[in-house]
Amino acid sequence: MTIEYQSQKVALPYMQLSLVLFILQVVLGLWLAANYAFTLPQGLVDMLSFATTRAIHTNLLVAWMLLGFMGGAYFILPAECERELHSTKIAWLQLILFAAAAVAAVVGFLFGWTQGKPLLEIPVPLDLVIVVAALLFLYNILMTVLRAEKRSVLQWMLVGGVLFLALMYLFGIPFYSSLNADYYYWWWVIHLWVEGAWELITAAIIAFIILRVTGVERKVVEKWLYVETGLFLFTGIVGTGHHYYWIGAPDYWLWWGGIFSALEPLPILLMVVDTWLHIRERKNPIVNRLIWIYIVGLALYHFVGAGVWGFIHTLPPINYYTHGSQITVSHGHMAFFGAYALLNLTVFYFAMPQFKGIEKYDAKAGHWGFWTMGVSMFFLCLVFGVAGILQVYLERFLDIGYMTAHMSMMFWFKTAIVLGLVFLAGAITTVYHLFTLRPAMQTA
Amino acid sequence: MTLRNARIIFWAGTLVSVAIFAWLTWDFHRQEEAYAHTSKIDDRVVAGKKVWHKYNCNNCHTILGFGGYYAPDMTKAYYRLGESNIISIVMQPQEIYRDSFRKMPNLGVTEAEAADLVQFLHWTANIENRKWPPQDEKYVQAARLRDEQPEKVRKTDIVLGACGGCHSFANQGRDIAGDFGELARDLDYDRETLVRFMLDPRSVNSDSSMPAQNITPETAGIIADFILSLR
Repeated sequence: MTIEYQSQKVALPYMQLSLVLFILQVVLGLWLAANYAFTLPQGLVDMLSFATTRAIHTNLLVAWMLLGFMGGAYFILPAECERELHSTKIAWLQLILFAAAAVAAVVGFLFGWTQGKPLLEIPVPLDLVIVVAALLFLYNILMTVLRAEKRSVLQWMLVGGVLFLALMYLFGIPFYSSLNADYYYWWWVIHLWVEGAWELITAAIIAFIILRVTGVERKVVEKWLYVETGLFLFTGIVGTGHHYYWIGAPDYWLWWGGIFSALEPLPILLMVVDTWLHIRERKNPIVNRLIWIYIVGLALYHFVGAGVWGFIHTLPPINYYTHGSQITVSHGHMAFFGAYALLNLTVFYFAMPQFKGIEKYDAKAGHWGFWTMGVSMFFLCLVFGVAGILQVYLERFLDIGYMTAHMSMMFWFKTAIVLGLVFLAGAITTVYHLFTLRPAMQTA
Repeated sequence: MTLRNARIIFWAGTLVSVAIFAWLTWDFHRQEEAYAHTSKIDDRVVAGKKVWHKYNCNNCHTILGFGGYYAPDMTKAYYRLGESNIISIVMQPQEIYRDSFRKMPNLGVTEAEAADLVQFLHWTANIENRKWPPQDEKYVQAARLRDEQPEKVRKTDIVLGACGGCHSFANQGRDIAGDFGELARDLDYDRETLVRFMLDPRSVNSDSSMPAQNITPETAGIIADFILSLR
């Protein structure tokens, strides 16, 4: 299988850069775990604090996710619109701006140049560069879609998701004098991204891949797409309220936030069901088993990480004790890996063989990578979960102080380092495999 | 189901949720004063919030439960630690946490910045957020009792209110600098020296890493009596 349109090639550097940042993110994660597991000397802490490392770890996450989405969109849209991209020059310019802003941000963090808001640390001047890059991207994909002969639900869902994503980013830029309003709008970026805009993009991308890989009827896929995204937005938008329980906001948030967020796993469950149905009713033969494994793995991990792990502590009476503890860390890792890391890797496994015109690739390393990452991340999240339950029990039930609770965690974070190293090995295997895809030996 | 019905589900679901959320957002702002006392945000609170951002505090510490989970939550830190403890921790963490298993970086915070930070944390600690975090509520209650009904305050409340940021007693307070029960056993100061030590530790013991305490000599006397009574 080869690419159908030449302009799809512009997606490749996006995907390659994305994969490099993924590895860097994991390496920094290991360093963060070491901060928990051992007592580091004061001199080292003064030079490279946990705060700086965490800012880089999370920003790399956002950067590789967004690069993956943008690369994915550039790959999918020509095929979906049956025409070349509006401009590959704009796509290159946008990539350079985005990458430059990301590099400047990371170097800036090391020297203390930060906006100081978790996950949104990028200072305002760099925010503006990112806004310009985002506008170029929006212009490029809109022009591609508008000038297309063919109209599809999928195109608009993808464009809508990207527009929603870009719009929400703006709420994180201003300085709010009230901390309480600050965090009210902080969640418009973070929550409405991961439980809104990103879900739209995921649903659209995965619908496209399922269409192409399984060969099921477009009408069926698009119907599911509408219902799922409708449910995502219905539950996800008001579901933002599950972050407003303890910020100093009216009581009704406990009800609105609790009930709507309890419904949030539903659309993900629907995704699992429709993926399973489409695979069962496939019209195409299974050529590369790995991509099918990724599609199913994504659906299941998405449901467990985002759906189940999120549901566990979303109800106010539980959240009162678990809020802001390592339990959130467990959920965060499981959900981001399950929903978005696997989504990007699925897209890369769909697209990258096509750049090389490979029909069936040698997938041994890829299988190893998938299972190593998937299993080690699951256990890593269990370890974070144990640390979290210990913390909540010691600090908030027995009331014996933060220090004692955190000292008891040191053992679990040593375990986390071991699992993190296994995960890193899986991630490197996967990235290496994607970079060096080779046709499979012909065996009659 | 037809594609048309699916589209209707999409738009109905989305628009209903947007409408509810927009209405709740409007109401959140309407009631902001009652929950967050926004009218009490003055220039110093704003300056303190900028200090909070400048030093990236929020990537180690949570506040309102959000941020890094590496260091204690700061929502009610004003009541848990008190003004003078916050200032000394922020300005000389390498001293305060010299023997701790967990270090805080020395960020070079100036005295003026530390003072503004206290104002910000004071405002934050008064946000009506349904008594979260649970483990700090006792400090909030103790502080309110000290302010409102000083005659009802027990001696341990005074001691832990002033010293609980670094010392513990009967499983209350933070054990960074030792538990009062153990300290009292090894202590050979008389009452007058102990009072002098609290007000200016280095005048008594030049190796001490304890910061000078911003308390009246009367309070220092009450605390000294308390500690000596444990011997």
